[in-house]
Amino acid sequence: MNWRNLLPLLHKEMVLEWRQRYALSGIVLYVVSMVFVIYIASVKPTPPMWNTLFWLIILFASINAVVKSFVRESGARQLYYYQLADPAVLVLAKVLYNAFLLLMLGGLATVAFALVTSSPVQRWSLFTGTLALGSVSFSIAFTFISAIAAKADQNATLVAILSFPVVLPILLTLMRLSAACFTPAGMPVETWPDVRNLLAVDAILVALVFVLFPYIWRD
Amino acid sequence: MWWKITSVVLVLYTIIAGFLVPLKSGIERVEPNVAQTGEQVSIRFFGYNTFFTRPTETPVRVWLYYNDQYALRAQAIRLINDTILEATFQMPTNLPEEKSFVLLNALVDHPTAGASLLPIALTLRQTKVSEGSLDSAWTIHPVDNLHLQKGFSFPYQNILYETIRNTYFHVPMWFVLLFLLAASVWYSIKYLQQPEADYDRCAATYAEVGILFGLLGLTSGMVWANYTWGKPWSNDIKQLMTAVALLIYFAYFILRGSFSDPEKSARLAAVYNIFAFASLLPLLYILPRMFDSLHPGATGNPAFGTQDLDNTMRAVFYPAIIGWTLLGFWIADLRLRLQRLKDKALGVD
Amino acid sequence: MARTILTFVLWLGLSLPAAFAEGNRDFMRETGKIYVVVATLVVIFLGIVGYLVRLERKLTQLEHLKKNDA
Repeated sequence: MNWRNLLPLLHKEMVLEWRQRYALSGIVLYVVSMVFVIYIASVKPTPPMWNTLFWLIILFASINAVVKSFVRESGARQLYYYQLADPAVLVLAKVLYNAFLLLMLGGLATVAFALVTSSPVQRWSLFTGTLALGSVSFSIAFTFISAIAAKADQNATLVAILSFPVVLPILLTLMRLSAACFTPAGMPVETWPDVRNLLAVDAILVALVFVLFPYIWRD
Repeated sequence: MWWKITSVVLVLYTIIAGFLVPLKSGIERVEPNVAQTGEQVSIRFFGYNTFFTRPTETPVRVWLYYNDQYALRAQAIRLINDTILEATFQMPTNLPEEKSFVLLNALVDHPTAGASLLPIALTLRQTKVSEGSLDSAWTIHPVDNLHLQKGFSFPYQNILYETIRNTYFHVPMWFVLLFLLAASVWYSIKYLQQPEADYDRCAATYAEVGILFGLLGLTSGMVWANYTWGKPWSNDIKQLMTAVALLIYFAYFILRGSFSDPEKSARLAAVYNIFAFASLLPLLYILPRMFDSLHPGATGNPAFGTQDLDNTMRAVFYPAIIGWTLLGFWIADLRLRLQRLKDKALGVD
Repeated sequence: MARTILTFVLWLGLSLPAAFAEGNRDFMRETGKIYVVVATLVVIFLGIVGYLVRLERKLTQLEHLKKNDA
C-alpha cells in the first residue's frame, strides 16, 4: 500500500473544496438557517431538547456536506485517481478530510446554537471530544455510503435512507455522551463505556471500509 | 428433505409442549398488603395454579420473609379453596433494620406443589423505632426444608402468567431473523469473492425472508407487550433495534432497485449488506445493555440467565429455535427456487 | 356427511355449555392470559401464510409466463 499519496490527496480535497466555495457556503448557510429557524420559533429548549435539536442539525448538515464528496468529480477524473493511488488510501483521504469538515461544521453549529439559545453545556472539553468523535464516526459512515450512492444516480435521498439505520446507534451514543456534558464539572460521570463503544464501532467501520471500498471503486 | 421433516417435528413439539406443560404454582397477590408492627393480622394469599385444599401429608407452611436471616412464619392457616388461603401472623414488635418500613416477600410451601414466591408482597410499617433487642419472631421459624415441585412444569412469573409460553413463539422469530440475515451476508461475501448471479439471488432471498420473520417478531412482540407491559410499543431498545434492522433491509432492497445494471446492483448491494450488517451487530448486542430495557438480559446481564430460563424451559426453547429456524430456511428455499426459475424464464440468468 | 356434521354440531352444543359451566371461573385459563399466547401464535401463522400466498401468486405469474412462451 502506498501511503505517500495520502497527503497530496488530502491537499487535493481541500483545493477542490476551496474552488467550489459555493458548496461550502451552502452548508454553512444551511446550519445557520436551521439555527435561525429555531431562534425565530422562539423555542426555549430544555437540555434534553437542546441535545436532540443540536444533534439533528449536525446529522442533516453532515449528510449534506458529505454527499457531494464522490459526485463532484467526473468519472474520467476518478479513473485517473484510480490509476494513481490505492483505493484504501483514496478513501482514507476522503474520510479524514470529511472528518475535518464535519468538525468545523460542528464547531460552527455549537457557536451559532449557543448564541441564540442558552447552551446547557458545562464541560466544554468533554463536549469538544464528543464532537470530534462524532465527526469521525459520521465521516466514516457517510463517506462510505455516499460512495455507494454515487454509483446509483439518485443521490441525497438514497444516502439518507441507506445511512440512517447505520448511524442510529452512533447518534444515540453521541447524544448520551453530550447529555453527560450538561452535568456540573464537579460531579463524576461515567463516559468511558460510551467512548469505548464508539471507538469500537469506528474501528469496525474503518476496517470494513478498507476491505469493501475496492469493490465499490472497481467499475 | 430430512431437515424439513425435522423442522415440522420440532415446531409441532414446540407448540404441543409449549401449550400443554402446566405452569408451576404461584402467588398472584396478598391482601391486605400493608401491616403494622405488633398487630395480629389475617392475610389472604391468592394463588395461581395452586391446590391448597388437596390433602397433603405435612401441612402447608406460609412465610413472610425479609432475607435469608429474618422470616416470619404464619401461626395459623385456613385453606379457603384451591386458590385462596388465609394465614394469620403475629407481627413482631420491631423491624430487623432501623427503618420506618420493610418490604416482605410472600412464600408458600406446599408439600406436593412445591414452594412459590411473590417478591415484595407486603409492606410492614412501624410507627416508632422501638428500643431493645430484636423480636424473636423474626428468627424463631427460619425458612427451611422447602419442597421442590416434581415433574415437568414452567416457572410462574407474576405479570407473565401463562404468557411465559410466548418464549417459544415470539423469541425464536428473533433468532430466525438473525440466522437468515447472517446467511444473507454470507452469500454477499461469497458474491464479492466470486461474482456469480446465484450468490446474489441467495443473499436477496434470505434478506427478504429475514424481513418477514423480523416483522413477525415485532408484531407478535407487540401483542405480548400489550398485555404484559401495558402498551404495544414502549420504545424499548430491543424494539427500536429490530425496527432499525428492518429499515436497513428495506434500504437494501431500495438500493438493489436503483441500478439498471444487474452486476453493479448485485455488487453494491452486497457491499451495503456487509457494511450494514456489521454495523447492526454492535447495535444488537452493545447498545441494549446500555439502555434500560424491559427485556430480560438488560443492564449487563447475559440474556436468559439462570433465573429467566430454567431447565424445563430449555427443553422446549432450544428445539423451538432450531425448528423455527429450519422452517424459515425452508420458506427461503422455496422462494429461492421460484426466483431461479423466474430468472431463467426471463433470461436474466 | 350430513349426519356427521349434525353429530358434530350436537356434540359441540352439548359439550361447550358444559365446558363453560365447569370452567366458568377460568375459561381456558384466561386469567393466566393464555389468549395472548394464542394471539401470538395466530399472528405468526397468519404472517407465514400471507407470505406463502404471495409466493403462490408469483408462481402463478411464472406459470402464465411459461404458457405464453410455449
